[in-house]
Amino acid sequence: MPATDLLQGTLDLLILRTLALEPMHGWGIAQRIQQVSKDALQIGQGSLYPALHRLEYKGWIQAEWGASENNRRAKFYSLTKNGQKQLKAELEDWGRISTAIALVLK
Amino acid sequence: MVKEWLTRLRFLMSPKPHREIDDEVQFHIEQLTGANIAAGMNPQEARRRAVIAFGGVESARAQSHEQRPSFFLGTLLQDVSYALRQLRKSRGFTMTAVLTLALGIGANAAIFTLVNAVLLKNLPVVDPSTLVRIGNTNECCVNWGANNGSYSLFATDDWHQLQKNAREFEELAAMQSGIGQIIARRDKTQESARSVSSEFVSGNYFRTFGLKPQIGRLFTDADNVEGAPFVAVMSYDMWQNNYAGDPSVVGSTFWINTKAVTITGIAPKGFYGDRLSSTPPDFYLPIESMPVLANAQHVHIPDRRWLYIIGRVKPGVAMAPLQAKITELVRQSFAATTIFSDEQGKRALAKVHVVLSPGGAGIQDIQDSYASKLKLLMWISGLVLLIACANIANLLLVRGMNRREEMSVRTALGAMRTRIVRQLLTESIVLSIISGMAGLIVAYVGTRMLLAMAFPGAQNVPIDARPSGVVLAFAFGISLLTGILFGVAPAWITSNANPVDALRSSGSRTTTSGASLLQRSLIVLQSALALVLLVGAGMFIQSLNKLRNIDLKLNSTNRYIIHFDPQAAGYSPAQVEALYRTIEERFHAIPGVQKVGISAYTPMEANNWGDGVQIQGQPDHHNWASWVRGNAEYFDSVGTHVLMGRGFTTQDTSTSPAVAVVNQSFVKHFFKPGENPIGRHFGSPGTQSSGDFEIVGVVEDTAYNSATSKDHRMYFIPMTQRIPESARRRPIDQDTGLYAGAIVIQTDRPMDNMQSLARQILAAINPNLSIVKFQTFDEQIADRFTQDRMITRLMTLFSILALLLATLGLYGVTAYTVARRTSEIGIRMALGANRSSVVGMIMRGAMLQTAIGLCAIGIPVAWFCVRYIQSQLYETKGMDFTVLTIATLTLTAAAATAGLIPAQRAASTNPSQALRTE
Repeated sequence: MPATDLLQGTLDLLILRTLALEPMHGWGIAQRIQQVSKDALQIGQGSLYPALHRLEYKGWIQAEWGASENNRRAKFYSLTKNGQKQLKAELEDWGRISTAIALVLK
Repeated sequence: MVKEWLTRLRFLMSPKPHREIDDEVQFHIEQLTGANIAAGMNPQEARRRAVIAFGGVESARAQSHEQRPSFFLGTLLQDVSYALRQLRKSRGFTMTAVLTLALGIGANAAIFTLVNAVLLKNLPVVDPSTLVRIGNTNECCVNWGANNGSYSLFATDDWHQLQKNAREFEELAAMQSGIGQIIARRDKTQESARSVSSEFVSGNYFRTFGLKPQIGRLFTDADNVEGAPFVAVMSYDMWQNNYAGDPSVVGSTFWINTKAVTITGIAPKGFYGDRLSSTPPDFYLPIESMPVLANAQHVHIPDRRWLYIIGRVKPGVAMAPLQAKITELVRQSFAATTIFSDEQGKRALAKVHVVLSPGGAGIQDIQDSYASKLKLLMWISGLVLLIACANIANLLLVRGMNRREEMSVRTALGAMRTRIVRQLLTESIVLSIISGMAGLIVAYVGTRMLLAMAFPGAQNVPIDARPSGVVLAFAFGISLLTGILFGVAPAWITSNANPVDALRSSGSRTTTSGASLLQRSLIVLQSALALVLLVGAGMFIQSLNKLRNIDLKLNSTNRYIIHFDPQAAGYSPAQVEALYRTIEERFHAIPGVQKVGISAYTPMEANNWGDGVQIQGQPDHHNWASWVRGNAEYFDSVGTHVLMGRGFTTQDTSTSPAVAVVNQSFVKHFFKPGENPIGRHFGSPGTQSSGDFEIVGVVEDTAYNSATSKDHRMYFIPMTQRIPESARRRPIDQDTGLYAGAIVIQTDRPMDNMQSLARQILAAINPNLSIVKFQTFDEQIADRFTQDRMITRLMTLFSILALLLATLGLYGVTAYTVARRTSEIGIRMALGANRSSVVGMIMRGAMLQTAIGLCAIGIPVAWFCVRYIQSQLYETKGMDFTVLTIATLTLTAAAATAGLIPAQRAASTNPSQALRTE
């Protein structure tokens, strides 16, 4: 199922990119992506958390429990060194593919 | 990469607590609620919306959980422990399932192990694949003259010729075809002489098989030379069991048949001779020592065929041309003998041929006699496994359906379908593994039992009782497959259903559609298969009964047979007449002894001596007959009736004219109807020899070879009379035919102490006279039915098993149906239905399936299959109606019992209670 793979890969990329700015909790990540994309991208919660866990197990992001803005216990995710490398690689990939697609569509 | 694995490992070692995921999700929902409140909703509404927006908490949790590297292992452990708990909870189900599968797997593994060991195993020798046997039949012992054309038995001269001329063989070993008995006693010890089994073999015998001695040395060609010092090789088992592996046995002297023989070495451990046998050789002796040690003259008579030949071919030799060449060589060798020299002999010579067969498994006597029976047993055990699998399928289906509500609740709570199916799969596999373990035990015990049945009384059958791995894997695989298929199918179906529907239509409100079509079909199949097996067992029991009721024309009541060997005790042929008289006198002195028969061999002991027969005044038709020597009381002692003329008397001695008594088949074969045989003469073919014996009497056809052999022509000559032809040819000291082999004692009452009495009497006559074998006549006859008894017992065992399983299956399904229909039955009874109509309703359902199984499948299949076992049965053609009727009735009765128990339970339903339970 290539469509799902693409989608999944894309979600991973979005998460990594978002976390590149600062450590964030799950809720925050979803909000940030929604805001930045001007509500165009709405991350389904059903896929967000599995994705976060997947990235964590791959060692690209790490998690820490901390206090949220309103002083609630929340799980903050941040990028690891491996994650930064992965982000760079995926950005390059994305760039190549989108250029290629753009060329075809032009 | 390495780091990723390290991370995985870390998570595997310290799995995160589930709560973390829950906390995280909770946090998210709170944030969402907060946002909703900020947008102006009231707190309840805000939270409700947030929960809806988030979606299935359970599935998010499960999916997050699945990302964990240790997920698979963790779930597996969880599922296994859950499965074990479930199985413990329903003990009845587990016990039934495990027992069913264990019996199915175990029975199959046991049969296949026996097949593997008996039919497929090679000899424990070097490179068995390059061994080739010259010949392919189990012609045995000592033969003479032409047979139907294919030869497997050869004279000593034939072997020498082949050795000289068949250069395609690296080695060509010869061995005695009939393994015999010798009396052996170690020199300078207190041990008494014992009767042990022995095989005379060529000097290159061990070399051909590529064997190394355990200790000492094995034979060389120099040992197998006429006049060489007597040597023997002892088997490893004999050495271990009787001499505790004492190395000084090698080089020591043994008295074998009263001659001094030196043990040169011990055969390697595990070597049981050149064939599978219940009496593997304890001593190996060179062929050339046989004339002296066993006084066997046939070793040097050119036309006496008594050897099997196995050789090791050189690499790259093609079999077809070799077979043609060997056939040619055998013809040349046969052509030199007188029997193949005259007109008729030359015609027979043209038909002479040999078939080369693989020699890696040795001489396949046992294999040939067991092959068809073992194959039949394989089919039968396969059917039992099929029934067992059908049973398991049914049990699992019933169980799966019963757990529909459990599954619905779990689905409603958000459990994923794959997760449920995976858990049920684990349960099936756990069940199969437990059953497999139990099956292993059944297989081991079963193989032991089979061996004991197949070779009764033999402690050292060289067959391994350990179940073979391939077989276990196969049977295990089948049961695993059944478990998976029928354990998961209902789970898949139920998990597919809309949980709301499933929950609403609570299981207790069902009517006739209690059991699915699949379940009913399985019952139909089971009853059909069970019927086939029952019919099969019935046919075998009937055949065995017929066999045992055959009139063997003998009387075995209060008869004891003592096998002994005067030759091994050192008597010369000239001395035996006096010995026999002493034996007769001493046994007659025992109170209660009525008759004392002495003979070369006795009825139903599978021994046979044959010779050519020509009636004086008739041309030689190359006919033969079996013959037995007996003393005056021999016929009475075995219960053979004299029909015409007379039997032997004490006046028939070595000095009186040579006489013979013939049996009815002999008369029928050699004389025209109505011709009076009394007073006629016959003998071995030849102008002079054909007048050797005068026929003085005719006896009935007592069975000698087997109960079923027909038209077995035989003649009997007095125990101490020399055959005139052999008297003309050689001195009395070479006339080994005068040696008796058995004493038959008839008493007026059962005498349990006969064996010890016989031992005392013989030892008193001569300390070297020992009992080779002691049996009652009945025991000796029963031994001839061992194989028939084994297969009948196993058939019966398997069919009872099948019946049990089928009944169990039917019971399970009926009980399930009743449970499902409890409320329906309650309503019916509340509306006025009485007990008997409820019982009738349930029984109709149960019996219908059995009836379909019997009539539509069982009877036609049984009818069709009978032709395949017909060849194994005695005088049976086609289906026997009595057997069919009994089998059908048995199965119907079993099915009725299986149906009646749940039907009674249904009828005792309390209407008000049944309705309330809903």
